[in-house]
Amino acid sequence: MTDKKALIRVENLTKQFKKTRALDNVSNNIYNGEVVVIIGPSGSGKSTFLRCLNLLEVPTSGHIFFEGIDITDPKNNLNKHRQKMGMVFQQFNLFPHMTIMKNLTIGPMKLLKKSKEEAEKKAMELLERVGLANRADSYPNQLSGGQKQRIAIVRALCMEPDVMLFDEPTSALDPEMVGEVLEVMRDLAKENMTMVVVTHEMGFAREVASRVVFMENGKIIEQNEPKEFFDNPKSERLKMFLDKVL
Amino acid sequence: MENLIYNIANIFTSDENARWFVQELNNNFIVDDRWTWLLDGLWVTVRLTFFSFIFGLLIGMVIAVIRVSYDKKQDTPTQSTSQKILRFALGILNFICKSYLNIIQGTPTIVQIMIIYFVILANSTNKIGVATLGFTINSSAYVAEIIRGGINGVDKGQMEAGRSLGFGYISTMVFIVLPQALKSSLPALCNELVVLLKETSVANMVALQDLLSQALLIKSRTYNAFLPLIAAAIIYFVIVSILRWLSDRLERRLSSGDR
Repeated sequence: MTDKKALIRVENLTKQFKKTRALDNVSNNIYNGEVVVIIGPSGSGKSTFLRCLNLLEVPTSGHIFFEGIDITDPKNNLNKHRQKMGMVFQQFNLFPHMTIMKNLTIGPMKLLKKSKEEAEKKAMELLERVGLANRADSYPNQLSGGQKQRIAIVRALCMEPDVMLFDEPTSALDPEMVGEVLEVMRDLAKENMTMVVVTHEMGFAREVASRVVFMENGKIIEQNEPKEFFDNPKSERLKMFLDKVL
Repeated sequence: MENLIYNIANIFTSDENARWFVQELNNNFIVDDRWTWLLDGLWVTVRLTFFSFIFGLLIGMVIAVIRVSYDKKQDTPTQSTSQKILRFALGILNFICKSYLNIIQGTPTIVQIMIIYFVILANSTNKIGVATLGFTINSSAYVAEIIRGGINGVDKGQMEAGRSLGFGYISTMVFIVLPQALKSSLPALCNELVVLLKETSVANMVALQDLLSQALLIKSRTYNAFLPLIAAAIIYFVIVSILRWLSDRLERRLSSGDR
């Protein structure tokens, strides 16, 4: 991995909530083209870690370098860098007062200064790829959970990000809709999109990840490529966890 | 009251009374084109209400955003001096807004209007301008709290989604959170508009020729209190009904995305 440059470099990241320490001095690198899947029991700090990457959660201490720039330094224009980091939420967070097309084009038009035609063309292309081109004029609340999440992924992609962050993207979905969302994510991985995914989908981790990270109590306990990670776990804690979830 | 009912009943039962009633109608509304006095008054009332509400809405939104931002900023850790300065400034603004709301909501409207008219802007000749200012200030305080409730009711994931796309705090507020907040506060805002419309009737205390003042003017000429006041009441009622109808329609149109 030494020949790849680190897209995101995390150094000594600590996040202290009032009483609990959600992240405890975590350091890690995320490289171009990698699919990093983060797993762990609830409360392990995995979502906090992900949300710290684009500073939705402001870390108590530590640094995050994105494309070589320290985004935790308030002197740097965070909004500019966030445009390059797509984020997909557990609760979709589509804008309910806008049509799907408006949801997809508001960012590119207002932030990337694209023309309406250009933004809509790009949005349409992506909508077709996830099979939802016919829903462009619908409102989010008219869609199923799986459709909403696919739209949310497209919304992030419309900004042409360099990395995609997924915060438990399938946890709020009915079981039969999980597949369609994972399918879209699988396609993205095939296209060499850099992805950081917090999930409970072990099958997805095993199949798609280039690296799996296990977190507990705000620390990274173990990380490895998926085959080694699942078949030959080193730490006792991970063994116990895998026994429970597999 | 009994007398009144008796009189009204009598109007339709005896020719003499019917003749009296027609004559009074004629006297109060037709002679000297007095009905146009009411129209003039209505026009003043409508303008006063409209501009006070629009300006009040704008000021109210700003106050609401300041209050919400301040509450939110309390639980993020500060990093740099510039952020500390920002938070300090926000603290001062929040204090000003809070005092403003307390003072406006804690004093009667009519006292506020009189203070502005007789004390602060005593030299102004633009009566409707002064009254508009007074009602704007009054209305903004109520609108601010309505909208603040609306903003707090918007899921916080909306702000996060906007920020994650790269929108700044203010842009996310304006494009994403506020439209949803306004939509959910629409019934309360409409209510405020109706209250404001009726409340503008106290403007007759500062010699503005609004609808009520004009009705009273007719009364002073005809010595009949009944007809001009009933006419004014009916006009207020009709306007309020129209506003309610419009807001229902708007609400239904805006909820087209809800399912």
